[in-house]
This record gives sequence, C-alpha cells and structure tokens, in this order.
Amino acid sequence: MPNVVRRLLAAGAGALGVLAAVAGRPSPRVAALDVAGLAGEIERETDHVTALELAAWIRDRKPGLRVLDVRTDSAFAAYHVPSAEHAPLSSIASMKPADDETLVLYSEGGAHAAQAWVLLRSLGFRRVYFLRGGLLDWMEDVMSPAPGAPPEAAALSRYFGGVPRVGARPNESATADSTVARARRRGC
Amino acid sequence: MTAPFLDSGASALGAALGIGVAFGWCLERAGLGSARKLVGQFYLTDLTVFKVMFSAIVTAMLGAFWLGRLGMLDLSRVYVPETYLLPQLAGGATFGVGFALAGLCPGTSCVAAATGRIDGAAVVAGVFLGVLGTGVALPRLQSIYLATPRGVDTLPSALGVPYGVVVLGVVALALAGFVVAERIERLGDRGSGLGDRERPDDRVPSPDPRLTGAQRG
Amino acid sequence: MSARAPRPYADPYVAGVGLGLVLVAAYVLVGRGLGASGAFATAAAVAVDASGSAAARGNTFFADHLAGGLLGDWLVVELLGVVLGGFASAALAGRLRVAVERGPNAAAGARLALALGGGATMGAGAVLARGCTSGQALTGGALLSVGSWTFVAGAFGAAYAAARLVRRTWT
Repeated sequence: MPNVVRRLLAAGAGALGVLAAVAGRPSPRVAALDVAGLAGEIERETDHVTALELAAWIRDRKPGLRVLDVRTDSAFAAYHVPSAEHAPLSSIASMKPADDETLVLYSEGGAHAAQAWVLLRSLGFRRVYFLRGGLLDWMEDVMSPAPGAPPEAAALSRYFGGVPRVGARPNESATADSTVARARRRGC
Repeated sequence: MTAPFLDSGASALGAALGIGVAFGWCLERAGLGSARKLVGQFYLTDLTVFKVMFSAIVTAMLGAFWLGRLGMLDLSRVYVPETYLLPQLAGGATFGVGFALAGLCPGTSCVAAATGRIDGAAVVAGVFLGVLGTGVALPRLQSIYLATPRGVDTLPSALGVPYGVVVLGVVALALAGFVVAERIERLGDRGSGLGDRERPDDRVPSPDPRLTGAQRG
Repeated sequence: MSARAPRPYADPYVAGVGLGLVLVAAYVLVGRGLGASGAFATAAAVAVDASGSAAARGNTFFADHLAGGLLGDWLVVELLGVVLGGFASAALAGRLRVAVERGPNAAAGARLALALGGGATMGAGAVLARGCTSGQALTGGALLSVGSWTFVAGAFGAAYAAARLVRRTWT
C-alpha cells in the first residue's frame, strides 16, 4: 500500500520538476543583492548626480539618457523635470536593463529615488543614478539658483526657463509650480 | 490580491499558531519526536530524517516555484534568509556536532518534550543556554559573525542556471537519494539495528545480547 | 504508562510532503517560513533584558529580538503551536510517555548530560548561522538560498563525524 503512494508522490515530483525546467522564470524574479558592492558605491558617491549635473546632461543631450520620475501620477502631472518619463515605483519590478541607456531617477526629496536605485541595481541595471536632493534640489539649484552658485548655474537655469536669483532681488519668485514645497521637509 | 496575504499583527500570529500546530503534528507523526529514531540517521539504520527533510524541501520548493510561476505568490515578498558563507558553514558544523550529541534539533526537542521525553526537555534547556551564552559573546565574535556576506543569494543566481532547471536538479537528486536511502536501510536490516523503524519502542530499554561484544562504539 | 500500544509512525515521505505543504502555507499566508532557534533567541533576549544586566545593553542581537515582547514574536507563537501539535499527535497515537530515551547500555544521567551539552552546542551554531534545521535547512533550503544549503552541508557532515563519538549511547 505505501509503495503505491510513494510512487505516485515520486512521479508527481518528477513531473513537476521537469515542467519547471521548461516553464521559464516565475514572475516576479528574485533579485540578487550585492550588498558589499553597493555599499561601496554609496560610500564613494558614484550612485547619484547633482541637480546641476543632471541639467547639463539634459541640455547637452547625453546619448541614452532617460530621466525617470518615480512619484505619483498627480505629482508628475503638476510638474516634472523637462524630458522626464513617469516611472512609478510599482513599475520598477518589471523594468529590464538596456546596455546603452543611462538612467537618472528622481523623487520629491530623493529618498524614494535612492531606494529605487538599490532596487534597479539589484535587478542588474548598470548605469543608473539618482538625483541627490530630488526635485527640491532641482528647484533650488537649477530653477532658481542663489547668488553664490557656480557661474554655469545661471546659464543652465535660463535654458530650463528658470529665474536665477541675482543680486538683491529676494522678492522674485521661481516660475515653477508653487505647489512644490520650498521648505526642506522629509519628502520621499 | 497575490500572496503573501498577511504582514504582521494579530492575524499573522494566529497563522503562526496554526502553522506551528501542523508543523509539530507532522514531526511527531513521522517519529521525529523520538531521539532514538532520529539518531538512526547517523548510524545509517533509519534514514527517516533524510526522507522527511528532503520530501519537505522538494514539496515546498515545487510549491513556491509553481505558485510563483502562476502569479499566485509574489516571491519577492517572501523572506529568504541572507547568506553569510563562513558563519553559516562554521555555525552549521557546530550545530551538527550538537545535533549528533543531543539526538534532537531545536524544533524536534520541543516535540519530544511535549510528548513526555525528559531528554527532549534537557535539549530545550541546552539550546536556550547555548543561544543565551553565544548572544552575550556575540560582540566579541563579530569578525566571524559578519564575515563573507552575500546578501540574498540563491542557487540559480549563484550558479547562473535558470530557477526551473535548479528545481529539476534538486528533485532529481532527492529522488536518487531516496532510492539510495532505501537500499542502505535494507542492507542494515540484515545486521542488528536499533529497533523496528515503524514501531515506536515502548519497552524500557534492556541490553540486547546480540549487540554486546559484536559492535564497538 | 500509555493505556494502549503505540501506533506505528506515518510513512516518512507522506509526512515530509505534509510538512512541505505546511511550509508553503506559511509562505502564502505570511511570506515567511518556519523556524525554531529564533524563538529561543527571543526568549534569551527577554531573559537578559529582564535581568537588567549590562550584557544586554548595546547588544544588537538581543535588541533585534526584543521588539514586540515574547508572545508578540512570530516564532515563539509558532513554537508553542509545535508543542501543542506534537502533544496532540502523540496523545491520539498513544505515544505519550515519560521517559529518557537512550540506548540499552546508556545511563539516564549520561544521556541527559549529552542532551544538555548537545543542545547548548546547537544553540551556539544556530546563532552564528542565523537559524537551525527548521529555519535554514527547511525554509531556506526550499527557497534555494546558498547560505542555507551551506548550513545543511556543514551540519550533516559534522553530525556524521560526531555521531561516532557517542555511538555507545544508542547501541
């Protein structure tokens, strides 16, 4: 009696195993995380770009550049970095790497984008960065750079339609949507 | 909504209780609450431990793969233990020595204790003390404890082989192992074993005349 | 003494498949697998915390296990279930018996000493390896974790070697 049951179990396991080998990957895939490697990159700061660097890349039409906005639909619709695509966090899991692309992720304050950076790296993406400081830094450094900013900041700002704060004109407000909070808060 | 369904909180704890009851039930049914039966594994007279463990591993592995493949279980939300090669090898070896000496593992010792075995209770106490002492000493063991981290590393990605192929490989190895295990047990039956594999021994142990002198420890 | 003769054990393959299904149920319901040594770690953390000793302060291992208290820990509740399930199964099969399981030529005291010492050794190994046969071998093994399979190789290799030292306890 037990022999029949055992043979059935063995046959079932064997069949399911053979089918598994030809069935392809289960979705979604289990990603491998190179903790030590990623920690090194974070320490060496090769994981992010500044707002000014991103602005220069966009203006210079860097080949293969894709700017990804990981915020919600409404936030993206209200304002987004020129040339940015909308890539909410829920779509991260199904993204596939492409060799010739350079991805720059951004979010409100940078936290969600930094998290998405880790996720994409663990999925095998190579050239991916996040915007340090997020949209808040973009607004401050590119759209309305302060008087102490590097000289190219003013030119970049005008390229994107921003208004550099030159001299003593503190009343001049940025042309960006005022719903983007100016005060530094714990945004994601 | 795909599985896993619960996160934490009261319902997860309720599931813990139910799952635990089923776990303990299966262990006892298989006889793994008996140290005498368990150690047969190491003397190649009773390979129940191997059969139960690998039947369970194969079943769960196939279940996880197929539920994932059919989109019913989100594998990325299932907790996979992190890999630390050196401490897991060294800790495994240490654990193995203890396992052979005690005749029970932490889980089965609870089953043994629950069914009245005093040696089971002694193992439970021992595990508690061992965990306590090692935990206290852990700050001094950091160099070993944190060595060779690999994050979440699975055989498919480490070997560069597709998940389904590894699954087939493990199934094949397990089935082959079961065939070998049956042969080993049958060979051992010719000599004097540690008792009937299927029947629990309910007599007070007495020296077996066939064993004294014939077998050396 | 049990009132009736103990029933024979279940077929190991059937029991193993049952155990595997329980494991899958755990993955599906709560996104995690089984375990045992983690519950002992929580118990140890609670004990150290209650004693108020300096050994606990700044010890991240214990601190990690303190969140939620003893009965708020998933593994502790699970292990309580294991006790209940084991008891129920044995009760229904007539296998409840107060005894010190040992070989015919071993003394109870020696057996208990080995049980205690072996348990402590297992506890040490489980802390280093982040788990035991339930958490690493079964749960991690089924999910094909490299570290879990490494643990299995180390554990069974060492166990076979060490078993030769205590053969007299069982034969």
